Amino acid sequence: MATVAPTPARVASPGFISRLEAWPTVTSFIVLVGGWELIGRSLNQPFFPPLSSVLNELAINQAEIMAALGTSLTNLVLGFIVSVVFGVGLGLLMGAFRKLDAALDIYINALLTAPSLVFAPIFFAIWGLERWSIVAVIFMYSTWIMVVNTVTAVRTVSPEMLEMGRAFNAPRIKTWTRIVLPAATPLIMAGIRLATGRAVKGMLNGEMFIAIVGLGKLVKDGSGRFDASLVLAILVVIIVVAFIALWVVGWVDARLTRWLPKTSR
Amino acid sequence: MIEIKGVSKAFPGRKGSEPVQALKDVDLIVRDNEFLTVLGPSGCGKTTLLRVIAGLVPHDTGTVLVDGKPVTGPGPERAMVFQSFALMPWDNVLTNVAFGLEMQGVDKKTRELKALELIEMVGLGGFEKRLPGELSGGMQQRVGLARALAVSPKVLLMDEPFGALDEQTRRLLQEELLRIWEATRTTVVFITHSMEEAVLLGDRVVLMRPRPGRIDQILDIPMTRPRSTHLDSVESSGEFTAMVGLLWNNLRAMHSDVRRARQAGQAAATKP
Ligand SMILES: Nc1ncnc2c1ncn2[C@@H]1O[C@H](COP(=O)(O)OP(=O)(O)OP(=O)(O)O)[C@@H](O)[C@H]1O
Ligand SMILES: [Mg+2]
Repeated sequence: MATVAPTPARVASPGFISRLEAWPTVTSFIVLVGGWELIGRSLNQPFFPPLSSVLNELAINQAEIMAALGTSLTNLVLGFIVSVVFGVGLGLLMGAFRKLDAALDIYINALLTAPSLVFAPIFFAIWGLERWSIVAVIFMYSTWIMVVNTVTAVRTVSPEMLEMGRAFNAPRIKTWTRIVLPAATPLIMAGIRLATGRAVKGMLNGEMFIAIVGLGKLVKDGSGRFDASLVLAILVVIIVVAFIALWVVGWVDARLTRWLPKTSR
Repeated sequence: MIEIKGVSKAFPGRKGSEPVQALKDVDLIVRDNEFLTVLGPSGCGKTTLLRVIAGLVPHDTGTVLVDGKPVTGPGPERAMVFQSFALMPWDNVLTNVAFGLEMQGVDKKTRELKALELIEMVGLGGFEKRLPGELSGGMQQRVGLARALAVSPKVLLMDEPFGALDEQTRRLLQEELLRIWEATRTTVVFITHSMEEAVLLGDRVVLMRPRPGRIDQILDIPMTRPRSTHLDSVESSGEFTAMVGLLWNNLRAMHSDVRRARQAGQAAATKP
């Protein structure tokens, strides 16, 4: 067991400034929040309200925002789950079968680079204003990066590990469950992390441009009325949603890849 | 017993170049309960020979028999220890050591009992819940050794198992391996780059030469067993020194042959 060093090597002198230096995240947050408030107040323009009036707006429209948030989160969770299952699943299949990979690779890359919103009219035509239109948009935003990452994850499993499996007579299924999947997990999770941010974007865009519901509807309403406070208030909510989503994914990731050496995190 | 007769193996060369003859007409018999060491310059086909015995790569010609049965792929009677350890970093020591038995479908309780026994044998008692990443290189290779021994193989195949370790760790593991081997007398094929290691551990040394990879000669090592109890005096014995000297003379001659052949090749290529 490592013994705890009695004194830290760099002793921070007590005081507010030095304590801030020790917490870069907190410091940057304080600077950002303070800066927003100050610039907003001194500008005194409707298009850039200070943070306080944004928060005020948030409080005033609390009920409406909470209802919209419920709708949006349901869309997000549905879209993201479908996307993870399909994206990782297809990626594993493409990793396992070279022919499938060769056949689909170019289309996956095309879908990855295409602006996902161009498919919106198609979904709108199929599902109209239903929730499934938005779920489909979220799917288009977040799936392909997971496919690409998962294929790479499977392909880059070290040949030595695979040879070790062969040397110990691992059956094909066991090779997958005991070697390929665990070895591929860090990269697959990295793909899911990237997809999380894309899914949040997809949710908002879907709600703003197809079925006008949820937080997207509020943003659209607010910008229609040039109500910058409302728009920014929703933005704050969306950022919080994105943070929570990333935190959840990060938590799952950390549990699944606990065996990784600390330095490679 | 392993019987290798007329085995050749070529790998396709990189685009445009000729195939690499990694093994050519190799004949070798590995006796039961023998500790055979294999020595030779880099690229002479030592690893290929071991992988052929393991059934990991098919050979082009000839036959490889293990206890009379032709090798067509990996089998439970042969186990490998890898130079790079090849442990599963997501599994603890216990699960790693039990891996071979797990692949054979042995139930969890039985295989963990067996694994614990081997963890104890390689001197890692108390570390069974640790992850490989938390262990030193020497300890990791002890896990690799325990994993191979856990399947109770008739033949232990080791490809420079201590090559990645520092001098002192390597020495401790050599001692440990000899101690275990003297108790179990499993047939061992042990590849090494080190002349001292080859002599210290082996009953016989196979000397290989490159281009194409083949067996140059096989030398008996005269020192008596057991050796693990007094490795230092084994190493300072006249027999040991003479044996290492002999190997070095052969290797040096081999190196100058290779150099002469290369120069001759260049001379021929530059002539009109
Ligand atoms: N999978 C492969 N594909 C192509 N060529 C290979 C392959 N494996 C080995 N070779 C070639 O075959 C020859 C023998 O290789 P091998 O790895 O058996 O040598 P070695 O004696 O183990 O060398 P070292 O001491 O460096 O480990 C080398 O020229 C090598 O480049
Ligand atoms: Mg080698």
